[in-house]
Amino acid sequence: MPDQIRNGPIESVCVLGGGTAGWMTAAALSHKFKGQAVSIRLIESDEIGTVGVGEATLPHIRNFNSALRIGEPELMKATEATLKLGIEFCDWGRIGDRYIHPFGDFGSELNGVPFHQFWLRLRELGDSTRLDEYSLGIMLAEMGRFTSPATDPSRLESTFRYAYQFDATRYARFLRRYSEANGVVRTEGKVVEVRRNADNAFVESVRLDRGDSIAADLFVDCSGFRGLLIEKELATGYEDWTQWLPCNRAVAIPCETRGPLMPFTRATARKAGWQWRIPLQHRVGNGHVYCSDFISDDEATEFLLANLEGPPLAAPNKLHFKTGRRRLFWNKNVVAIGLSAGFLEPLESTSIHLIQDGITELIQLFPDRGFAQSDADEYNRRMGLNFERVRDFLLLHYVANQRDDSPMWLHFQNLKLPDSLQEKLEAWLARGLIIKYEFGVFLPPSWIAVLLGQNLVPRGHDPRADAVPADLLAKNVAALRRDVLAAAQKAPDHAAYIRQVGAASETAPMVAPPSTIVDRPTA
Amino acid sequence: MSDRPVPGTFISRIVVCGGGLAAHLAAAALARQLPRSIQVVWVKCRDPRDTDLFYGGVVGPTAYSFNLLAGVSEPRLILGTDTAFSWGTRFDDWGENHRSWVQCFHLPFPVVGGVLYHQHLLRLGVGELEPLLLPAAAARRGVFAHPPENGSGPLSRAEYGYQFNPYTYREPFAAAATSSGAQLIAADISEVECREGRIAALRLADGQSVTGDLFVDCTGVDARLLTPLGVRAPEGRRLKAALSHHPGGKLGPPCRTLMARDFGWQSETSLQSGRARLTAYAPESEAPALAAHGATPSHHAEVVIGRRDVAWAGNCVALGHAAGVLEPLTHAPLLILQREIERLLTLIPVSPDMSVERREFNRQGAADHRHAENFHRALFETQSPFDTAYWLAARAQPLHEMLAVKLTQFASRGLLVAFDLEPFNAEEWTIQHFGMGRRAARYDRLADQQPMAEARAAFQNTEREIEKLVTSMPSHSEYLANLIRYLKQKQW
Repeated sequence: MPDQIRNGPIESVCVLGGGTAGWMTAAALSHKFKGQAVSIRLIESDEIGTVGVGEATLPHIRNFNSALRIGEPELMKATEATLKLGIEFCDWGRIGDRYIHPFGDFGSELNGVPFHQFWLRLRELGDSTRLDEYSLGIMLAEMGRFTSPATDPSRLESTFRYAYQFDATRYARFLRRYSEANGVVRTEGKVVEVRRNADNAFVESVRLDRGDSIAADLFVDCSGFRGLLIEKELATGYEDWTQWLPCNRAVAIPCETRGPLMPFTRATARKAGWQWRIPLQHRVGNGHVYCSDFISDDEATEFLLANLEGPPLAAPNKLHFKTGRRRLFWNKNVVAIGLSAGFLEPLESTSIHLIQDGITELIQLFPDRGFAQSDADEYNRRMGLNFERVRDFLLLHYVANQRDDSPMWLHFQNLKLPDSLQEKLEAWLARGLIIKYEFGVFLPPSWIAVLLGQNLVPRGHDPRADAVPADLLAKNVAALRRDVLAAAQKAPDHAAYIRQVGAASETAPMVAPPSTIVDRPTA
Repeated sequence: MSDRPVPGTFISRIVVCGGGLAAHLAAAALARQLPRSIQVVWVKCRDPRDTDLFYGGVVGPTAYSFNLLAGVSEPRLILGTDTAFSWGTRFDDWGENHRSWVQCFHLPFPVVGGVLYHQHLLRLGVGELEPLLLPAAAARRGVFAHPPENGSGPLSRAEYGYQFNPYTYREPFAAAATSSGAQLIAADISEVECREGRIAALRLADGQSVTGDLFVDCTGVDARLLTPLGVRAPEGRRLKAALSHHPGGKLGPPCRTLMARDFGWQSETSLQSGRARLTAYAPESEAPALAAHGATPSHHAEVVIGRRDVAWAGNCVALGHAAGVLEPLTHAPLLILQREIERLLTLIPVSPDMSVERREFNRQGAADHRHAENFHRALFETQSPFDTAYWLAARAQPLHEMLAVKLTQFASRGLLVAFDLEPFNAEEWTIQHFGMGRRAARYDRLADQQPMAEARAAFQNTEREIEKLVTSMPSHSEYLANLIRYLKQKQW
């Protein structure tokens, strides 16, 4: 392997920024390269706060943690985590609507025909059951219960997945301990100067405010929106997606919990954006994402404060962002991961997921000191696709609905969609067909949940669903519905489950037994 | 609500036209899978030109489930036709280094220590994948056994397909179509009546007129139904082929052999009834090709390799050669046909508009064809020892951007780049890369975490295990004879 010898392995990696992205990157690299001669340094400054709004995750995070051999109860305790079966969307289709986008399936396919096609047929015949009743994930969520999914794929209990809601700042702190134990060296400081190679313009080193200089072969820019290396230094450029997703600000604030601990995140549509509610063990995370064209910052903050379930626990944290992606995620010897790579509003909890994708692809395409351009090209191709497919799914929520009660919603009614999304919508409306792709995070059940949840009922169904006699079909689905209900009822209460598996944080006053929750006053 | 058509009941009659392999498979699958409320009428006409020899003689592991979907079980296929088993295609004398490898079927390769299997090989500098693949070793040795469904060991990771004769393979599908309720009309088409970009009716030679909501054109390269709707034939490389059948003798290996020749290539496929020889060549080299073919061909045809811009226009959807032709270098031709039929099943129109179904069918079909062509085109990324019409034309085909990425990334770091829903899987690409002797400049450094000697020993163990297993397996002919005896006893 002459090239390999000539170029030699990367010997040093510098991660710039210690938020969720920085510490996830450091943790994963330090685990992956354990025992190899790769030094990993992370630079962060206590003076620069982290954004840490990505408190809700997708099920894939469990693969990340288990690859790092991090135990679930340990992680949950340390991050005040709760379990997440999906997201409840309120007021998205019309004001007053609510639905859950679950991590899991609706029924199971029969002879290659997806279950929802049979449901559509029964609906046309007058059946009024909700598709949700065939989703164990949704039924568990609605009942506030939780159990661990079965691994045997033939069992009904295997048809859902779960993720966490956690305190992202604590998650970063947890991974910091993990990374440091793996040999990652953390350096406190702010970058004041970047030195680049005169020939190829690669970043050679960064100088910190305290005077020390840190050199590395590879730099991972996790410096957040500013993109200290990828943008400020390399001027990589940004692809602005505001035309599709115009929300550009958020205000976040934690508050005390009221009511039972639910195993899902909530996203409520508002006049100029939407509001999140993320239940953790010790508090509830809240935020209002909005478009500044349609509401002032003060109004947005007031609105959020007026819509909290309990007393606030901190001052409001205000964020400005521009939806879009960096033109290149990997430029020269700098790879941008996290907010420096791009921003998509956290409507479907994809922020941490895109960090994870960035790390996974970086490990797969980990360069040598020769930095083959083909590695960067492939990384950029893959991450571009990941971002684009998330974008389309987010946009779906804004355009697949009937709201016209504010200028923002009217804006979406007149929006020209990306072709990929337009075709998906047409295929669904005509016949309940989900146009599939192989690479991308959201699988057909996610699309079905949002489309039906926002009242887009197809005009027709797959004719193959007519091959089963209607009475037999009705009997079979009724049995499935009963099984789903029974399985959900068997599961313990969410908070009880967290205590049962030893994942309750000792500092968490809000994980109270259900009996005491009943007596609690509501906000 | 009253203005919309009654959902799901728009289509009441689908007319399948054609007399070849595509029509047989389509009629059987549609009749079997669609509800009784949709009548499948099969106009079994003579196709203007017979090009079924371009389906080649090998189909991959997907055939098993496709055939079941069409109502044809494996026992029925084995007992009712001269179909035999297949581990894949052995390329011989291919390219500048006269490469020889078995392009076999295989389940996903193991991931060792978080590192892909082939990355370990790249690290060790092992250029040959074949001794580590049971189907490849079994193919060379001429042995076969069904992979166990829930077993362990190399045989359970193997996958198999079939070696077939396109002119007999189709027969059980004819029976399945009628037993699933397809209405058979044996008559030629005399006229296609079109109105406003759609087919209104087919006038048959016997005077009948056949109407339908959807017409499925399986009439071969002339696309008798699609052409009157204004869809142009594809442009591309011209290829000729001759097929002959050599009856008798003991059943040969469960592997087609395909040898590069100056005029093109020649393949030999063992079937229950004998051997089939297929010679493919550039039209310019007819004389030497036919001389090398030897026997008088039973089938002989010329085609354009390529796909029409659209396969579905108006209310007419073309399948098989009516949509496009692939060179029968691999199992792609029948694989792509199966996928077209499965795609049509998922897109039976729900309203007369059909625009959604049309667009999606055309999009996926074009992508499938493109991916298959990429796999084939990659076979020509080598300096051919021949400076002849076939090789020049094959190499002159442009490298599609997706293929360029695949080749670049493998050469750079042994990376297997995949795109959405490709017909050829990662294992098939790996086997081709190694088979063609492609080398990677780098390998995954994480492979270094395993001690070199340990990695080498693990591969040697696998090799020995496979060698031992293959020695104990019955010959293809023995296995098939026993299977047939068993099936007959069970009276399938």
